[in-house]
Parts: sequence; C-alpha cells; structure tokens
Amino acid sequence: MPGHVAIVIVSHSALVAEGAADMVREMVGDEVRVAFCGGNPEGGLGTNVAAIKAAIERVYTPAGVALLVDLGGAETNSEMAIELLPEAWQAQVVICNAPIVEGAVMAATEAAGGSALAVVQATAEELSP
Amino acid sequence: MDIASPDLLKAERATGDAIVRDPTGLHARPAVKLTKLAKQFEAEVRVRAGAGDDWVNAKSPNRVMKLKARQGETVAFEAEGRDAADAVRALVALVERNFDE
Amino acid sequence: MSPERAARLLDAAVAAIREHADELTALDQAIGDGDHGLNMRRGFDAIAATREEVIALPLGQALQKAGMALVMKVGGASGPLYGSLLMSMGKVAAEAPADPQGLTAMLAEGVEAVKRRGKSDAGEKTMLDVLVPALGALRAGAADDLSADELIARVRAAADDGLARTRDMKATKGRASYLGERSIGHLDPGARSSALLITAVCGVLAEEG
Repeated sequence: MPGHVAIVIVSHSALVAEGAADMVREMVGDEVRVAFCGGNPEGGLGTNVAAIKAAIERVYTPAGVALLVDLGGAETNSEMAIELLPEAWQAQVVICNAPIVEGAVMAATEAAGGSALAVVQATAEELSP
Repeated sequence: MDIASPDLLKAERATGDAIVRDPTGLHARPAVKLTKLAKQFEAEVRVRAGAGDDWVNAKSPNRVMKLKARQGETVAFEAEGRDAADAVRALVALVERNFDE
Repeated sequence: MSPERAARLLDAAVAAIREHADELTALDQAIGDGDHGLNMRRGFDAIAATREEVIALPLGQALQKAGMALVMKVGGASGPLYGSLLMSMGKVAAEAPADPQGLTAMLAEGVEAVKRRGKSDAGEKTMLDVLVPALGALRAGAADDLSADELIARVRAAADDGLARTRDMKATKGRASYLGERSIGHLDPGARSSALLITAVCGVLAEEG
C-alpha cells in the first residue's frame, strides 16, 4: 500500500519555503513528508531547477508528490524540474494552483488522511477558485 | 414509512456535540486534527459551529478551517454510516480534550 | 559540424553575453528584477567551462548539453526558456542542418519550445519578439533561395527590428507585467539577449563566407 502523498514547497525565498514547511509540520505532524527549497544559487530571491529537482527526489513516493509554488518563475522552473525526473515518475508529480502556505497546509492535511494525489491537489486548489 | 424496514435499521446515524475549550476558539491546528480524525471513519461526518449555521463536511480541511467557534460555543457533529457512533464519540472526545493542545 | 566551427559559434555566443552582461542588467533593472545580466553570464560561463567537451560533440548533443547548463545555471525565468530553446533544437537536429530549410526546421522547433515553456507568444514583450521575426526571415529567405550572405543579413535585421519594437510594447508576461504601462519605453532584456545571440551566430556564419 503506498504511503502518503508527499509535499514539496518551492518559493522564491528560502525563508518562506522553510517557514511554510515548519507550519505544515507543526499543524499536520510528521506523517507527511515535506521537502522545501527556495532562493537562487547566490542565496538571493529566485528559484532554481536543480534545487527543485533535488527536493522532489528527496521525498518522491509512488503515491505522488504535490508541489506548492509562489510566483510565475517558481512554476516554470518546477515544470522544467519535473521534466528532468525519470519518465515513470512524472505523472505522479503535480503542481498545485494554490497559495503557497495555505495550499501546503491543506494539501498536507488531505495527504495525512491517506487521500490520493488528485484529491490532495483538488483540496489545495479549492483555495484558488 | 415502515419503521421495521431493513434499510432504515442498517443506516447508523449518530449525533453529538461538545463545547470549545480553547481561549482562541477553534483555530487552524485543531481544525486540522479534527479533519484528520474524521477521515479515519467510513461514515459521512458533518460538523457545524453555530445552531443556525450550515453543516459542513468534517473531512474537508478547507470547510473545517472556515468554521468559527469561540470558546464556550458548541460544536455539533452528525454522522451516517457503519461506524457513525464511533466517529461522533471520537470527535466529541477530541473537542473535550481540547484537541490535545 | 567541425569542432572549429562549433568553437567559433560557442565562443561568439559566450563573448556576446559576457560583453553585454551589464547592459542586460540595466535593462532588467528598468522593468524586471535586475538579474538578467547576472543570470545569463552565469549560464554562459557554465557553457564556456565545458567548451572542449561541447565542441567535440555532434551538434544535437552539444545543444542539449549547453541547454542543460543554461537550465541549471541561469535561474530566473530565462533559464528554462533558453534551456528549452537549445535542448529542443538539439533533439530534432542530431547533426548540423545541411541547408537553410533544415536550419529553419530546427529553429522552428526551438521557438515552439520557448512558446510552450513560457506559455507565451510574440507581441507580449519577450524574447519571442526577436525569435519569431528571426525565424520568419529565415523561413522566407530559405524559401526564396537567397544567398547565404543575404539570408544572414535578413535574419540579423529581423532580430534587430524585433528588438526595437519591444520598446513600445506593454509587458504582459513575467516580472515586467507587474509594471503595466510603465514597461513601455524600455527594451525587453530577454529580447536583447536573444538579439545578441542571433547577431553573434550570424557574425560567425557570415565570416565563414
């Protein structure tokens, strides 16, 4: 039986990414695996494909991975990162159209209940009608 | 309506309520715990904060997060399904334990 | 493609970005977050660092390797866009195209990949406003059977013209779009870097005669 869907948080800010992951862990607990990344290679604001790919790889599970992103570049870089994953994994990794902090909490809550990836994504996306 | 109808006897229903103890009312973390617990049961579970409010799905993080219940207010549950009584019992207990906060 | 020619092309592209990195930064400070010059230089420095390996590869693999370096090192929005441009061209053209028609097909694939990646098209004040006209000039010139010199000149002119036109466009994509009307009156940094690269490639091909 596959485990829980995992969550990956991608922000332009390393602090926001870490803080959001902290909130998820605090509110939902440790049963849902959460990875986070943020910032550019110089430590400034931005996102980078290599870090996103590594974050996904840290928590990948056949149950699926739900990504929460902030602004545009985070989404584009996340799409690129997914395309660089092993082909068999790609269908199980989705980017949620949701606000990053609330979406991560909602997605993790849903995941903690054992819900499938599509349900986890839908729950997060309820926040962005 | 035939009271002795087998279908009616099979559909277990349960209700219960509890008073919110936390000074900050029903806030985000308890809401998450409530949802997680409700999801463990097969039964359909609904919850509402005020007597006049709509029932919302207790398994939906979004719906439960939006409930507004202040300290001293009553949260009510109703459940339908095989383990309805267990579900309501567990959820009422969770509220009464102040969500183990 | 001979390693010598590949080296000339690579060196010209890297030099163009390095020489104009400050200008790209200035353009991006006006309507973006000011990191386009830095990002592009980092990416092209990464390509330069693998120069010996890249120029020895068949064109398709060379483009994919260079594209991947840009994806991993450029960051910002440009990394995936330029990376997709090169990687997709590398996937359709295993070897250097034999004629202008082949080159057109290759560049067309690259432009489509950029459109898909950026969910964008010409007219939105982006690098596509240089790439799309340049592709158009290449396609038309190839169909008209122009001489190599004429074709190169047309492509270079189309790129420059496309760049100039971005000045009066309003940005609807990326960071600049948050500026709305205030993005008008400034060249788009991604269009500028695209024009620089096209000019660099054209320059090498023109010199070869």
